Amino acid sequence: MTVTVGPRLQPRLRHRELGLLVIAVFAITIGSVSLALSQRQAAGEPLLGNGGPPLASGVALAVYLGALFVAHAVLVLTGRRTDEVLLPTVGLLGGISLLLMERLPQDLAGGLGLGTTQLVWLTLSIAVITMIAAFIRSDAWLRLYKYTWAAFGVGLLLLTFVAGREVNGQRLTLAIGPLSGQPSELLKVILVIFLAGYLSENRALLVEQSTRVGPLRLPPLPYLAPMVAMWAIALSIVVVQRDLGAALLFFVVFLLLLYVTTGRGSFVALGLVAFVAGGAVLYEVVPHVRTRVDIWLDPFATASGAGYQVVQALHAFARGGILGTGLGAGLPEVGNLPPGGIPALHTDFPLAALGEELGLIGVLAILGLYLVVIERGLRIAASAADDFRAILAAGLSLVIGVQAFIIAAGVLKLIPLTGITLPFISYGGSSLLTNGLVVGLLIALSDRGAEPPPPPTAARGLRRILDRGAP
Amino acid sequence: MTLGGSLGGTAQRNAAGAPVRRPGIGATLGRIGLAMAVAFGALAAGAGYWQVWRASELSSAPDDAAVIAASRRVVRGEITDRDGERLAWSAEDENGEPYRVYLSRSLSGVVGYASRAYGTAGLERAFDAELSGVTAADPVQDLLKKFRTDPSDPQALRTTLVASLQQAAIGALDDDSGAIVMLDPRTGEVLVLASTPVYDASGIANPATSTATFQALVADDVGRPLLPRATQGRYVPGSVFKIVTAIAALGSGAVDVSTTFEEQPAAEADGLLVSGFRVRDGHHSKTGSRAVDFIEATEVSCNLWYALAGLETGGDRLVDWAAQLGFGEPLPFDLPTAASQVTGGDGPAPGGFLDDVELASAAFGQGETFVTPLQMALVTSAVANAGVIMRPHLALSFTGKAGTTTISPEEWRRVMPARIADQITAAMVEAVNGDLGVAYTTGAQVSGLTVAGKSGTAELGGEGEPNSWFIGFAPADDPQVVIAVVVEHGGRGAARAAPIAGTLLAAWKAWAGR
Amino acid sequence: MDPVVLSIWILRLVFLALLYWFLWTVVRTLMRDLRAAAREPGAELGRLLVLASPGGEPAVGSAFSLDAMTTMGRDVNNTIVVDDEYASGSHAVLTYRGRAWYVEDLGSTNGTFVNGEAVDGIAAIAFGDELQLGNVRLRLERARR
Repeated sequence: MTVTVGPRLQPRLRHRELGLLVIAVFAITIGSVSLALSQRQAAGEPLLGNGGPPLASGVALAVYLGALFVAHAVLVLTGRRTDEVLLPTVGLLGGISLLLMERLPQDLAGGLGLGTTQLVWLTLSIAVITMIAAFIRSDAWLRLYKYTWAAFGVGLLLLTFVAGREVNGQRLTLAIGPLSGQPSELLKVILVIFLAGYLSENRALLVEQSTRVGPLRLPPLPYLAPMVAMWAIALSIVVVQRDLGAALLFFVVFLLLLYVTTGRGSFVALGLVAFVAGGAVLYEVVPHVRTRVDIWLDPFATASGAGYQVVQALHAFARGGILGTGLGAGLPEVGNLPPGGIPALHTDFPLAALGEELGLIGVLAILGLYLVVIERGLRIAASAADDFRAILAAGLSLVIGVQAFIIAAGVLKLIPLTGITLPFISYGGSSLLTNGLVVGLLIALSDRGAEPPPPPTAARGLRRILDRGAP
Repeated sequence: MTLGGSLGGTAQRNAAGAPVRRPGIGATLGRIGLAMAVAFGALAAGAGYWQVWRASELSSAPDDAAVIAASRRVVRGEITDRDGERLAWSAEDENGEPYRVYLSRSLSGVVGYASRAYGTAGLERAFDAELSGVTAADPVQDLLKKFRTDPSDPQALRTTLVASLQQAAIGALDDDSGAIVMLDPRTGEVLVLASTPVYDASGIANPATSTATFQALVADDVGRPLLPRATQGRYVPGSVFKIVTAIAALGSGAVDVSTTFEEQPAAEADGLLVSGFRVRDGHHSKTGSRAVDFIEATEVSCNLWYALAGLETGGDRLVDWAAQLGFGEPLPFDLPTAASQVTGGDGPAPGGFLDDVELASAAFGQGETFVTPLQMALVTSAVANAGVIMRPHLALSFTGKAGTTTISPEEWRRVMPARIADQITAAMVEAVNGDLGVAYTTGAQVSGLTVAGKSGTAELGGEGEPNSWFIGFAPADDPQVVIAVVVEHGGRGAARAAPIAGTLLAAWKAWAGR
Repeated sequence: MDPVVLSIWILRLVFLALLYWFLWTVVRTLMRDLRAAAREPGAELGRLLVLASPGGEPAVGSAFSLDAMTTMGRDVNNTIVVDDEYASGSHAVLTYRGRAWYVEDLGSTNGTFVNGEAVDGIAAIAFGDELQLGNVRLRLERARR
């Protein structure tokens, strides 16, 4: 009854992907040249001496762009009918990130320097995308072991609670031997996988049954438990780790997936009420939360104190104006001087630096790229073969979209600022690798299967000419 | 069929061969997609708000990183007075780095300072972006600037100030703390913005002496020289506030120039009882116990008439009319200003007064009333300029590489009809020149110039001399200059403020008549 | 205006423009996918207009909505039943594959013709081309939007 077509390693051209990649590579190259020229101009060096941009950034650029084409080649060679838009889009975001990190003060990261470290992580991220997109063919390992994943996630969380290293008053970093990373990044993927498994399994029950409380239709009581657990986990992350960003991300993605599964606005409303109530309590109890909210309400009141970061970010946006100052001509390097620099610029505030150098036009383009990732992911979800894969694809794309929204809105003072990375642009290995994982899975999920077989009644001739794929 | 399915295989199919239908998920996904699009639209709007709507305000603010960075390395534009005399210019230290030098200490309260170590104040702060060349006053120039090799274009600032009058004002205040504002009521151009005690702005700007100078100034919490009193000093106004009451009372129609109050004669001797509180008056030795009208009440500064006029006007109307004159919020000025107030505003009576006692006291400038000298100059200029207040300003023009941008006068508020302004002018002329008025304003008269004005003696409560006030304008028939003077602990209005006003108006006449 | 600064600015603006070119290309792709998704089974891919039909079946002037595969012949099990004495029972099949139309002669007695040329086994056919089975002539036309 199932038509199983075995893995066929047959090259299949990906015209759209190639076309988009060429545009992206062209754009990144032009951006890099303009950056190198303005850096030379600022340093008073001759623009065209020694030819081209400085060696280091030229090599970095070549490595990164090469990685993109290798990824494309691998996807072509494996010949799967998968999405052709995500790789170039993410590649362009990564390229913008590379330009930014090359341009920021290099001592923001130790060792190799900011730009080179980011290059390594970006390349690895592209490799993760490629491996997963090309070679993950079965979703059973995700689907079958959802409770194992959940347990692993909770364990990771508890481990961070206990053994996490505190950085800037936030217990986010977990170090195992020489490796260190931010588990909340990986946790978001595990959360989505678990939710996809749980919600798809219980979808019928969630949709059809409900508990009436007054005018509200609530989920059936046994299924309220995971909701409450989610809420509790989010709150505990805020209290123990002081990681508002991750908590907000987890909770919003959870609510959105609940809505995707059930189509019930009332569940979302209930979740929002719980969220607001929890938020209000946290505002009273946790000083960290209160500080963040107060800064949000009026950062200018404490422009040289607590609100400094946010106010400087807004100034950076304002300096950019519509066209921006141009790559390399903004002021993030003032970060080395006592006033003016933005702390955590490369992790939490890259959008502000880009807003300054690329202007409103650039910011809108970047927002557009994220929207492409989201809409593409949702489309993959809509055409997925079953509930599990639909919810998984929706969750994966929302994880990226909501995360981008949370940090962008925080930096633009639409919501209180919560420290979280801007996917594919912020500096940092944990973030780049897990987001690579997310996009890789999305591409794998977009597999439309083998080419439709030729019409059964069409005779030999048709087959002879058209069915190049015969074994 | 396996539970796991296969990512590489075909979709799961039901017996009929059609894909399994999942009712609803497609629609909810669509809605989620729409919601995300709206959310990102909000981000775009947010970016637009900061990058377009608020862009020029934020990027030229004195605490903007670009402005700070530029002000460290750029040779700032010069600041001159309206006649071209240099008020501030740049010198070079031994490292070749520029620092500021100022013409005289008399400018400290208005020009301020620009120091590498201690930031900026005054005009140096307000126009930091223009002086250090980060933004041009003209938006087109601002855009074209991007395409130049050296985008920095420090602008020279020509102010509306008159250096000689400014120095005369500081000299007249002598060792007293106080403030003097002189402005042209027809244009809003500020000629003098003096605040004492002065300080050595060049000392703060010079890297060799900046730390010592600045620390000493900060440590002086008695004289508080760093407080620009003309714009940010909040004083009890005393009788000069009667002009505000007059504008509100006449403007609202609560009283007219011939209104007299029949309870006044009886109250002259022992004071007027308002809700158990006695409002007293000091002029009955000269006028006798008779009811006075508006002109005479202003001439002899009759507290009783003004208290009754204030009660007649009512608290809400008094506060509303004062708000029209600029009370209640910072003034639209080039420098930051403190907000003036008629009342603390948290009482239960109309307008926020506690009761009629506070209203009656406020009507003659006591109570919870506080004003800045600049605010009183604007009140006076409303009377002098036929009821219209021009926006006060200090910048006359900016000159950069691309030429000169001139700041034109602009109307700020139309407060009252010219008829009312004329009536108040007539009363203020009597207050300075009338047989009875002259005793309260001794020294404000200038030969060959008809001065209109009003003195004030602001009781501060407790021991110590009251603050001495004078506001006025000249010539009375064609007002060209407004003056507001306050001398802290200067005694009665006639003792210090009125003679200072007379001296400065005479100096203005000499300057204007060149 | 300094030429160096100006050329750096041109590069910067080209960079921004390329970002939008990328977005525009993506949006075009997405729109095309949407349109393809809207063309679910049931939506026609093309039309066959009957130009001449001496036997009256199919009727002259009528048009058939085409799916991915259309069989033609005298047999009643065909998608388009051609009642003509020179047509065979299973005469020809019209298929849409990739982005092209193909017609295959199923070994008919009197042959299948595209624009007057006999089809040898299988031939490509485009919109506007004329197809002939026996005395019946049909024209392939674009689908109605």
